[in-house]
Amino acid sequence: MPKLEIDGQEVEVANGTNLVQAAEQLGTEVPHYCYHPGLPVAGNCRMCLVEIEKMPKLQIACNTRANEGMVVHTKSDRVLRARESVLEFLLVNHPIDCPICDQAGECKLQDYYMDHDRQESRIPLESKVSKGKAIDIGPMIMLDQERCILCTRCTRFLDEVTGTSELGIFERGNHCQIDLFPGVMLDNPYSGNVADICPVGALTNKDFRFRTRVWYLESTPSVCPGCATGCNIDIHHRSGEVFRYRPRHNPDVNSYWMCDEGRLSYKRYQGEGRLLQPVQRAGEDWQPIAWDAAVGRFVDVLKGDKRIAGVISAQSSNEEIFLFDQLVREQLSGQVAGHSWSPEGASSDELLIDGDKNPNTAGLTELGLTLDARKIIDSALAGEIDTLVLYGTDLTQVCTVEEIAELGDKLDAAIVLDLRYGPSLEIADLVLPIASYAEIEGSFINRQRRCQVLGRSMEPTGHSWPGWQLLTKVAGSLGAPSHDSASAVFERIADKHAAFRGLTLAGLAGLGAPLGGATSGDG
Amino acid sequence: MAVEFSKESKAHFEEILTRYPKKRAAIMPTLWLAQKDFGYLSHEVLAYVAELIEESPAFVASVASFYTMYYKKPMGRHHVQVCTNLSCALVGSDNIVNCIKEKLGIGLGETTPDGKFSLDEVECLASCGTGPMMQIDDDYWEGLTTEKTLEILEKLAAG
Repeated sequence: MPKLEIDGQEVEVANGTNLVQAAEQLGTEVPHYCYHPGLPVAGNCRMCLVEIEKMPKLQIACNTRANEGMVVHTKSDRVLRARESVLEFLLVNHPIDCPICDQAGECKLQDYYMDHDRQESRIPLESKVSKGKAIDIGPMIMLDQERCILCTRCTRFLDEVTGTSELGIFERGNHCQIDLFPGVMLDNPYSGNVADICPVGALTNKDFRFRTRVWYLESTPSVCPGCATGCNIDIHHRSGEVFRYRPRHNPDVNSYWMCDEGRLSYKRYQGEGRLLQPVQRAGEDWQPIAWDAAVGRFVDVLKGDKRIAGVISAQSSNEEIFLFDQLVREQLSGQVAGHSWSPEGASSDELLIDGDKNPNTAGLTELGLTLDARKIIDSALAGEIDTLVLYGTDLTQVCTVEEIAELGDKLDAAIVLDLRYGPSLEIADLVLPIASYAEIEGSFINRQRRCQVLGRSMEPTGHSWPGWQLLTKVAGSLGAPSHDSASAVFERIADKHAAFRGLTLAGLAGLGAPLGGATSGDG
Repeated sequence: MAVEFSKESKAHFEEILTRYPKKRAAIMPTLWLAQKDFGYLSHEVLAYVAELIEESPAFVASVASFYTMYYKKPMGRHHVQVCTNLSCALVGSDNIVNCIKEKLGIGLGETTPDGKFSLDEVECLASCGTGPMMQIDDDYWEGLTTEKTLEILEKLAAG
């Protein structure tokens, strides 16, 4: 554990720590472009030059290990002059097209220019080397060769992380440029990451570009709902609309990365098709109904001596699953099953993509539910169930169209709680819209049995309610103790289930934590 | 794969591999060998070399693009390279270049329609004492005059 001094402050770091990381421990940013903690060191941008006493020349912080007794200066005059010069070099052929560049606002060239350079360019615009702009290089990515500073983060990512090596640096000197081999596209399941790690506007995300300026976005930490891996993400959103996911570093789950499928999964939760208000069946039509009346109707349907069954999907949070199970099984003595469905031939790989396209299948099993929704459907088809409650469950994933029609005949009542219009509404007598995972507080459990927290990014869409709120209200009306927050529900889970003991939603914020007790499978 | 080394070149390639600890390190002599075999480094040839040394085509193409002596387009049978660096320029390399351009009817970086000659100007070929000079294929021609230059070209055109 070497001890060293950086800008007059002493710091002790782990063996092998480089000077960028060591400075970071003191809250000091050493400006850098090519260095990325998730990639091998390249040392080509020269932006992180620092002064080390007893060394005659400035050294790059990213490729210098912290050593015992080192005295480092990151803000001396020599360092500041070097940064200014490095920036001038990096900007020699830059087209200065920030007004039309989608990276503006999160561009390290802009940021460092304002912090360290601020001089007039000595290169007239017309004598700059011009290169390709807006080159479509793959399904996710647009390339602008002029804005590139040749840091090679993208090529190192494609060499080291995906091993696909689609991009290379071609030509020489002033004419150096990032490009593809002719006839090859940048089309791999992780291609979106190159836009995240590009420190400038050279690689931009085709799904995101020009939809908003980044300074309008708010960021909420959450978990990707795309599969059972549960990559940690930041949800970037504005006025109730998600604009993109960005991977958030979690060394135990996803490192710095996420897959393209997960990255685009936000589209499923917004736009056309979301249920906006409670409705009840009125003959062939749907009739809007106020929430109080809707909850009242739901309670009435459940009351009395009825045979009740419920199915809840693995898209639901732990808090929703727990309350649903408590209501249907404990309070109403009904049957409950979890439903975890993935399409045939769902993608999966060794890196991050899991074949289980549900974020919380482990939550269902950890909370004691079976995954046998079909058994409940069979009971219902056999006329053994009066009331069926479907929570986020698409019936076409469990039964045929004919069976759905038959269910409609056999059941006294069917209540659907869901995000979106779907085939299950066919048999519904009452439909209650619930909020998406991005609109609630709660938690998921990933394939490693790691419990991770969802951030509440925005208000529920339309008049939908957070599921836990609806369920606790219904349970309360039937005489159970109610909960005033998702955290309170989680406390109850921790009381009841040994694996959750000692955990709280607040305590899990950030990186989450593994559940206690025996591991099931690959934990 | 459309392109493939001749039997001799394959043996040569195997010999090249024995010189290095990794296949990747054999990239430059392999490209050189491929250029000798196929005339120039087309995309197919680059992809073939990538397969041989087990690297990505992008990596092989990026190395090839760095060096001017790897040809990325078809070249004439004879490659005429005239030095126009300082020492040769002082003793009239401009005249030599102009006389060749006129004789062959092509500009710098171009190839004659009959595919016999390609013309380039190059930086110093380390023959400063005997300028103006040019290199044609593997041979140096020094102390050039326009007459001597035309004579050389005519001889090559006939041969």
